[in-house]
Amino acid sequence: MTIRNTLRDHGQRYRPRIACLKKAEKVLLEMQDPKTGVKSQPQRLVITTIPHAITGEDILSWLADRFQIDTQEARNFGSMLVALGYIYPLQDHKRLVIKPDASLYRFQTPYFWPTQQWPVEDTDYAIYLAKRNIRKKGILELHEQEQYNRLHKWMNHKWDFIVMQAKEQYRAAKERKKPDRVVFDCQERAYWVVHRPPPGTVSAMDYGLDRRIDPNADEEKTPDFYGRIMIFTQQSIMRPRVKSSVSIGALVKYCATYNGHDPFLSKCLPSNPWITDDITYWNLNMPNVEIPTKMRVERWTFSFGELLSDPRGRDDFRLFLKKEFSGENLAFWEGCEDLKWGTAATMREKAEQIYKSFLARGAPRWINIDGKTMEITVNGLKHPHRYVLDAAQTHIYMLMKKDSFGRYLKSPVFKDTLKKAVCPEEHKYSDAQLEQNAKNRRPSLSPIVLRQQEKEHRAKMAANAPVDITQVMSKLSKTGKEVSPCRRPPPPAKT
Amino acid sequence: MGKEECKTMLDALNKVTACYRHLVIALGSTSDSQNLREELKRTRKKAQELAVANRTKLTSLLKDKTISKEDRAEYERLWVLFSSSMDLLEVDMKRSLEIGQEFPLKVPTRHLIQTGMTGSTTTVAARAMSVQNMKYEADSNVDTADLRDLRSEITQVSQMMEEMEMKVQVAPWAVEAKQEAGAELKSNMSVGNSSVGVISICEEEPKEEDGAGGRDTGFATICAVAGFVIIVFVAVVLGYLVINMS
Repeated sequence: MTIRNTLRDHGQRYRPRIACLKKAEKVLLEMQDPKTGVKSQPQRLVITTIPHAITGEDILSWLADRFQIDTQEARNFGSMLVALGYIYPLQDHKRLVIKPDASLYRFQTPYFWPTQQWPVEDTDYAIYLAKRNIRKKGILELHEQEQYNRLHKWMNHKWDFIVMQAKEQYRAAKERKKPDRVVFDCQERAYWVVHRPPPGTVSAMDYGLDRRIDPNADEEKTPDFYGRIMIFTQQSIMRPRVKSSVSIGALVKYCATYNGHDPFLSKCLPSNPWITDDITYWNLNMPNVEIPTKMRVERWTFSFGELLSDPRGRDDFRLFLKKEFSGENLAFWEGCEDLKWGTAATMREKAEQIYKSFLARGAPRWINIDGKTMEITVNGLKHPHRYVLDAAQTHIYMLMKKDSFGRYLKSPVFKDTLKKAVCPEEHKYSDAQLEQNAKNRRPSLSPIVLRQQEKEHRAKMAANAPVDITQVMSKLSKTGKEVSPCRRPPPPAKT
Repeated sequence: MGKEECKTMLDALNKVTACYRHLVIALGSTSDSQNLREELKRTRKKAQELAVANRTKLTSLLKDKTISKEDRAEYERLWVLFSSSMDLLEVDMKRSLEIGQEFPLKVPTRHLIQTGMTGSTTTVAARAMSVQNMKYEADSNVDTADLRDLRSEITQVSQMMEEMEMKVQVAPWAVEAKQEAGAELKSNMSVGNSSVGVISICEEEPKEEDGAGGRDTGFATICAVAGFVIIVFVAVVLGYLVINMS
């Protein structure tokens, strides 16, 4: 077919293909066969009889027979057909499931089938709501009323058209005979239950994000198209291969390690705030909390990356390094991170600052990297960019990981933190308490406030002047004693 | 005056669009038939004639630079009405092509969806064409030639829409509607066109268990009244005969 629905959508959004729709349509057509399809019976209303009603149990037995599946599977399949909108229930029209008893269903007309090509328009919904308004004399359901008001606000320029069209469609519908009118109303209502579900209904029509290219369009075979295929295959060949036993082993190890720490898979102590509305868990796990939880400290032992990415862990590590007088490594690493993630305007300044403090000969916090890396870095700093210190940063990271991390885990600092770490008890809330918690929900701090606090904290950290190696050396030579622990900077600020 | 003419033509286009939508909804179901396809064709042609007429009128009005500001606002409003109607019509035409292809009529085993609708749509089409009765021709090419025509008509309509958007500079979002929310409740809905007896204006919800609640009492009352009248009439006749005999 050459006619495509190029809705003049200048945003060029296309709906992705929903593959099950074509298959469901085939099944629907099979169901219509007078000999081998689903048996239909007339539905008796008080005055009229309307043909072509089918019972839930008939549908399920037909499905089980046709596909050779068991009843539970047939129920799932049948409910899917109802949820997509190919069959609609006549009683209890808001619950889109198949009931395995004598409750009645009917097939939906092809115009109201779900399609990939024809998105459900708000204009049509507005017309439907206006028609419903006429018929129900202004008493719409709550969610319908809300939608009506919202559409009236946003589609105000089309509102005249919507009102006119609603009236005309209402009048045109009256031209048909009574049974057909009832069927039409049921069909339309079922269509909108599927595509504009009332709150609390599960919708089968969620399809994710819109696509940028038209999935129904054939891509033209330009040289560029073939060029891209070639690049892709070349890269696939060059990709390093890992034995699946190795990668699966790594996956299994990861899952085994993190299984106890995943709040979905195991208990969240004291209680999951999303479930019990009690925010103790979040308070205990704040970034700059004084006493971390045992689970958190355990996570630091898993890998060096975990330790560094947790702010509290990083603070602990920084403390340890200060005691060992190798704090400059971490400071350099943090400086590089700052450069990588910071604003472009401050990049040059930051790079120079880092060079002066860490890399230059005789710098106050000189870091120990090998000559080749130093050469590369110094050359790169002539034209600094975001990733100019990457090589040096990686070197220092590996140094810390291989050397300091192991010592940290055996150090008294870590042991102390581990001893002090708190293990909260599980909350056991009764239903009444849960309701009470839900009532006492309060919004958390605004992100603006949080960011200000973060800034203050960082300023305080910067103000605690880093231990100057020259000062320390001079002090050592003067006093001839070990530097006492009271030189240690104050512990991280509490929030 | 140009405005009144425009409004009547737009009303007519609106009516035809609504009827076309009703007809397309019946496609592919058990109320589909050759007649339906022919009705669709006729309604479509009428819609296109109206569309072309509307378009020429409105473009000439909007191109006129000498009109006042209120007039221009009014014409822009009419333009938005027209383009929304055309949008609906275009989508319906495309869908009717798709569904028409999926459910051909001239095949030995027809699989039409058993939707429960069995009546004919003659009255709807008659309303669209503004005639009393529809006359059908026995056209046998409903699956092939008809769809070919439909395709060309769709391209015509799409081209017309593109031209419209290019030529006329109207910002649709700047138009303010005259009707406020709930305006459809205010006008009186015309009742009498239905073909099934006397139906009360308050149409009830199609609740399947309760059935035709309000309508039921209406019909029962009418039956009772009619029965009563018949009985009285018979009584009078008998009484007359009795009096005559004696």
